[in-house]
Amino acid sequence: MNRSDSNKQSSSGEQEGAEIVYVKDNVAIHPTQYASERISGRLKLIKQGGSLLMTWIPYKGQSSSARLSEKDKSLYTIRAVPFSDVRSIRRHTPTLGWQYVIVVLSSGLAFPPLYFYNGGVREFLATIKHHAYLVRSADDANVFLVNDFQDPLQRTLSSLELPRAVSVTNTPSSAAAPSESPSSWTDGETFDRNSALAQQNARQRQKNNDPARDLSIQVLEKFSLVTRFARETTSQLFWEAQGDGFIPNDRRKHDKKTHDYPRIAESNNIQKLPEDVPVPEDPLEFDKVSLVWGKPRQPPLGIEEWSAFLDSEGRVTDSEEVRKRIFYGGVEQGLRKEVWPFLLGYHSYDSTYAEREYLVSVKKSEYETIKNQWKSISKEQAKRFTKFRERKGLIEKDVVRTDRSISFYDEDDSPNIKSLRDILLTYSFYNFDLGYCQGMSDLLSPILYVMGDESESFWCFVALMERLGPNFNRDQNGMHSQLFALSKLVELLDIPLHNYFKKNDCLNYFFCFRWVLIQFKREFEFEKTMRLWEVLWTHYKSEHLHLYVCVSILKRYRRKIIGEEMDFDTLLKFINELSGHIDLDAILRDAEALCICAGENGEACIPPGTPPSLPVDDASMYYQQDDDDVL
Amino acid sequence: MPSRRRTLLKVIILGDSGVGKTSLMNQYVNKKFSNQYKATIGADFLTKEVQFEDRLFTLQIWDTAGQERFQSLGVAFYRGADCCVLVYDVNSMKSFENLNNWREEFLIQASPSDPENFPFVVLGNKVDVDGGNSRVVSEKKARAWCASKGNIPYFETSAKEGTNVEEAFQCIAKNALKSGEEEEIYLPDTIDVAASSQQRTGGCEC
Ligand SMILES: Nc1nc2c(ncn2[C@@H]2O[C@H](COP(=O)(O)OP(=O)(O)O)[C@@H](O)[C@H]2O)c(=O)[nH]1
Ligand SMILES: [Mg+2]
Repeated sequence: MNRSDSNKQSSSGEQEGAEIVYVKDNVAIHPTQYASERISGRLKLIKQGGSLLMTWIPYKGQSSSARLSEKDKSLYTIRAVPFSDVRSIRRHTPTLGWQYVIVVLSSGLAFPPLYFYNGGVREFLATIKHHAYLVRSADDANVFLVNDFQDPLQRTLSSLELPRAVSVTNTPSSAAAPSESPSSWTDGETFDRNSALAQQNARQRQKNNDPARDLSIQVLEKFSLVTRFARETTSQLFWEAQGDGFIPNDRRKHDKKTHDYPRIAESNNIQKLPEDVPVPEDPLEFDKVSLVWGKPRQPPLGIEEWSAFLDSEGRVTDSEEVRKRIFYGGVEQGLRKEVWPFLLGYHSYDSTYAEREYLVSVKKSEYETIKNQWKSISKEQAKRFTKFRERKGLIEKDVVRTDRSISFYDEDDSPNIKSLRDILLTYSFYNFDLGYCQGMSDLLSPILYVMGDESESFWCFVALMERLGPNFNRDQNGMHSQLFALSKLVELLDIPLHNYFKKNDCLNYFFCFRWVLIQFKREFEFEKTMRLWEVLWTHYKSEHLHLYVCVSILKRYRRKIIGEEMDFDTLLKFINELSGHIDLDAILRDAEALCICAGENGEACIPPGTPPSLPVDDASMYYQQDDDDVL
Repeated sequence: MPSRRRTLLKVIILGDSGVGKTSLMNQYVNKKFSNQYKATIGADFLTKEVQFEDRLFTLQIWDTAGQERFQSLGVAFYRGADCCVLVYDVNSMKSFENLNNWREEFLIQASPSDPENFPFVVLGNKVDVDGGNSRVVSEKKARAWCASKGNIPYFETSAKEGTNVEEAFQCIAKNALKSGEEEEIYLPDTIDVAASSQQRTGGCEC
């Protein structure tokens, strides 16, 4: 099966005595939301000796997309993973679309979802059950636990989720690695000892000649984050970064830089702690990771530079480059009006001046038409139209408490407040099923501030809601999937913090609800919010950078959170009160570093269709029984 | 009294969006009213020290988003509440009619050990508006509803002018305290529902 693969390590996948017990064709992964980039392959279960192995090999040369090289495809290849390394399998059965499973390893990492185009999930699970220890989780009928031990003590031990420095995707031989049986995890100290060791290692390694490179690899290795992908990009990034003069070559300089870096001084300040509470080390040694990988922020994109991106007819010639530029620096206030419609997807990058002008005029009359739908409701009619009155009332209550401290909205009879109302009410007719929900006025306000024009603001808001609409769904599914992904990312990037949240009943991540629902709108002053948003909207490093922003804020305060033993209430209060005190530039840099660090494993934590990804299936995503709300 | 005394009293404020929950809480805790509060997203709480009979308590007052769409969050926040405050706007019939939903939703999500006797307090807010001319829910009507739900204490307030706010929260604190003590006293022994419910019927004599 791996014959064609030149990787010498893969040979152990199939040896003498190996028996294929399950084969399924057309099992695919979706690395991005684009259908053209899906990768199909063959999934097998192989019985060998006493153990069961899983492989998934993409088909050769079949991809419809030129964007995916063979090399990219092989990154995702699953080469003979023994089930002794698997913790659980989660089955997803979307109402529309294919069934898929997510295989989670004991290290806490997960493979990207495997979509069964031809069915066969049930048979897949049954086969595993036949050959390995598999039980359905008592908490969730769609979760199947592998190697879940009968003995409750052992179960507790195994749920300690001790980090193991085993790289999974590229070491098929890990079955032969030193015994990982739960009985060898004798006590809770193992972890501390491990991390102490790792630290010692780190110190030793730092004495080496090539500190930055070594540091980045080692930091990753320590937390099982080294996939082949990560290894490759690490060295690449290192050289890139060095080219920028950002990674100092010699140790002294590096130390000095650390001291110069203001946020470290700041974080030392805020993280004063009572001595007696031990705080587990950050497995990623986050400060260093961020120094190595987070690029310094740049000044915002200005008009001249922007003009250079446009051809004579107004097309953006290299949208990738523009997005990258904005990712690192944002956009000057005066230019936002022109650039935001592209970032939001209202204008397409390859449109010309003329095409955009035309679109704007067409959309203007379309806006007026929808607006007239409610404008023409007479007083008499409204009397018998409770839903309309209530929806309008709700919007009116909210627009007068939206950003009133900004001069743009501060007058009591400000025409801009009226525009907010009109746009939101029109939107609630444009998308009647979704209607109006609190938080929308927060999302609209900066857009109106930037765009000025009502119709333009409306269409930009519509574009934004294409992605964020599920945040406001009646069943809150968009929020739940984001908070779930966030918990998975923290588990991946900071397992001691994850364990702390778990122990303290904080895994619902509701304390991050406001952050996620309105994209940190309440956490930063107005100007900074706009800066953050345009960076997020580039989708340059990830569509879900906002989740990495969450992780980086949490990581920055991890010592305080754990050290002060915050419970759910205290944590919620603490997070709410961080508002106005978060250093945006530093956080963005951290978030970028984390995103790179997590790589494909990070993206695998995020279920398909999680906002702000475009929904996986469009049909009736908002419509639910009309029994709730004022609507 | 048991030595393990409760010092934290948890209070949840519920009611339709815009009835003045955030304003009431801020008026009580910070003695301030601002026209510029933002619509509440998610949840937050304020705390205030209160004293009863030489004992100090921390009143933890939870304020949540009022739109029903966010109710699924409630479970996380309502748990362990000692008293629930139901707020409506005397100028909005709908907000009054919704009190019953809020009460039931709370009981389902918080699932208190003794739902029959769980203490609620009702506040009819914004009595200042228009000198009372735009009022649509009469005091009589509100009191009748409160009586029908087991003599829920009732106050008419204005968060804007501070009218009755201190008095209302005194009563809220007292009820929260009582609910906590009852749990402590009755739960470890055999549960005597009749006795505890009898005690409750007096409502709040403040
Ligand atoms: N006139 C008057 N306005 C109030 C009163 N309480 C709140 N408001 C206003 O009603 C609106 C909603 O108040 P808020 O406290 O945010 O309501 P919440 O959604 O229930 O938290 C705001 O514009 C407040 O200024 C009051 O007692 N009198
Ligand atoms: Mg509020």
